[in-house]
Amino acid sequence: MAKQLSIQPWRKSSIARRVQIFLAVVVPLPLVMLVALLSGIDPTMSFITIFVPLQLVAAALVGYISYGRRGIGDAALIVVTTFLSMFVLILLASVLWSVISEGFKALSPQFIYQNNKYVEPTTSLEYGGVGHAILGTLMLVLLTTIVAVPLGFAMAIYLTQSQSKARNLVRTFTQAISGLPSVVAGLFILAIIEATGIGRSGVTGAMALFPLMLPTVARVAEESLKLVPVDLRYAALALGAPNYRAFFRVILPAAKTGLLTAVLLGLARIIGETAPLILTLNPNVATNLNPLDGGMMSLPTYVYNYLASYYDTSQARAWGASLVLLVLVAILFGSARIIGRQKSSKSKGKK
Amino acid sequence: MKTKTTQVEPSGRRKLVAGPLSRGDKWFFRSTSIAAYFSFFLVALILVFLFNQALPVLQAQGFGFVFGSEWLPEKEPMVLQLAPMLWGSLVIAFIGVVIATPMSISMAYLIQFMLPKRLARIATTLVDLLAALPSVILGLWGLIVFTPVAAGWAEILNRYLGFIPIFGVADPENAFRSSPWIAGWIVAVMIVPIITSVSREIFSQIDRDLINGALALGGSRLSTFRRVILPTSSSGVIGGVLLGLGRALGETVAIFYVLNLVMKINWYQLLESEGGAVASWILARFGEASPEEKQGLMAAGLVLFVITLLVNFLANVIVNRAQPWRKSS
Repeated sequence: MAKQLSIQPWRKSSIARRVQIFLAVVVPLPLVMLVALLSGIDPTMSFITIFVPLQLVAAALVGYISYGRRGIGDAALIVVTTFLSMFVLILLASVLWSVISEGFKALSPQFIYQNNKYVEPTTSLEYGGVGHAILGTLMLVLLTTIVAVPLGFAMAIYLTQSQSKARNLVRTFTQAISGLPSVVAGLFILAIIEATGIGRSGVTGAMALFPLMLPTVARVAEESLKLVPVDLRYAALALGAPNYRAFFRVILPAAKTGLLTAVLLGLARIIGETAPLILTLNPNVATNLNPLDGGMMSLPTYVYNYLASYYDTSQARAWGASLVLLVLVAILFGSARIIGRQKSSKSKGKK
Repeated sequence: MKTKTTQVEPSGRRKLVAGPLSRGDKWFFRSTSIAAYFSFFLVALILVFLFNQALPVLQAQGFGFVFGSEWLPEKEPMVLQLAPMLWGSLVIAFIGVVIATPMSISMAYLIQFMLPKRLARIATTLVDLLAALPSVILGLWGLIVFTPVAAGWAEILNRYLGFIPIFGVADPENAFRSSPWIAGWIVAVMIVPIITSVSREIFSQIDRDLINGALALGGSRLSTFRRVILPTSSSGVIGGVLLGLGRALGETVAIFYVLNLVMKINWYQLLESEGGAVASWILARFGEASPEEKQGLMAAGLVLFVITLLVNFLANVIVNRAQPWRKSS
């Protein structure tokens, strides 16, 4: 904090100043807690109505003592930005905490592997689970990935390896697709179903997820291909390799982890999609692994269906399924992070 | 042409073609360009199919589809009009943007200019995690955990600022819950990561010398922020806000849970328990819709798609053009 406030970096901040700043940061919180306890005001309200202004005053005071009048503005800026950012983090923590704490109540081994074949809304939590939904989700996501990943990679190759003039246009359109509302993706496939008369099945569900995954994969893959030093490519070309060899032998190995990250982020993007699946896929209470025939359940639609009913057990199931979904997302997201970090540390090591 | 230019030096003054391109290369570039042109094809395909399905309804309803406010699928002939939902979508997206923008800019400023490297990386990860949360989970959280809290805030707003029309309600007993206010908050949580990451990107492109110069001339943190950082990055941040707006307009499931969809235009009363959102309306009606009404929903999807497409195009053009004093490289 001391360092942050210092706008004269050549001067070491004195101990007295550090003490002042420390006091300004630490004192208001317990004070407000004490006031809230004694007066019995609602804690969240006291946080906004008392703590923030108090913190502002304290920070402004220290700023004034240290730097004169200009210190006040700086202190206000720091307090306001920190507070607003904290607010975002509190909201995130609230979401995570409620999913984890409520979800654990429903969680048990059979909740993971059983399906919901004979489950009524009132059936207790000891029976039935999300096994079919987990399998369904994996199936749908796999189907989408098989098509979207090669296509997305090909787009990224086009955007980075060719010198075509249409690249900017392609990039713009890819960005435009990435803003496609998920419900419209569902309606699009529904329109195809209505026009051609094909049945609703796992394949149509995967088709509805496809336009949502494609732009994410293409964009992240493009970014990671761009990171490969262009000299590598030129060296390969200069040695007489054709472009495709240069790509597959030189650039692809260098960008391997980045491309893997692209796949993982694309998966994380679609694994939680609900609306397109509701429109294009019939729900199913039993396990179905045939994507060409019959309904399938996925985790998000499972949550959606159970949240609609007001039985306590149904809501508990919805929370439990949310937790499972969140864990899947966290695994994808976390592994993407770890892979990305390994890459960056490796490239640092090389230099 | 493209086949020749592949071996041209990047400076491009002299065109050096080392020799005839191999057949493999031709196929390599041909197949990747087919994949790339697929993006045009996909957008066209979506428009064509939706339009094909929506055409009868659009013809029958005329401009009333967008401007009227009655949705009577049982009536003969059917009356399908969407104005309350369209207006509701705009209102909710607007609330979301108003709430999310200050938070996002603060977050981006904190990450880029204040936190030490390690904390900044953690904060970035957390924001990205927020972006990865499925909307159905946010809907569940919004319905069960957040609604009571936000309804409490709404009540306080109404008590102390009720004289301002947007915070007024007709009947405090039946208001606050399931209101555009709460839906706006949920949407804000969803678009904070988008605006944050765009703003952070733009902030990181500002030339450090510019900031150091401002500080050396005696500027304070606040004046640097107001006079240097914000002006140089404003167009990029606005683009990010528009991207968030596009996302907010298309949000479906989460709003479906936390909002009471009513086919009556709620012009400005944010705390009243009625509102609209096109995407959620599609989801709400879909289950029991007759084939003709489904066509109406397709038309609603078409309208939504065209709006979000325009917003996104505009946003991307702005973000791509936004080049604050870049690092000299």
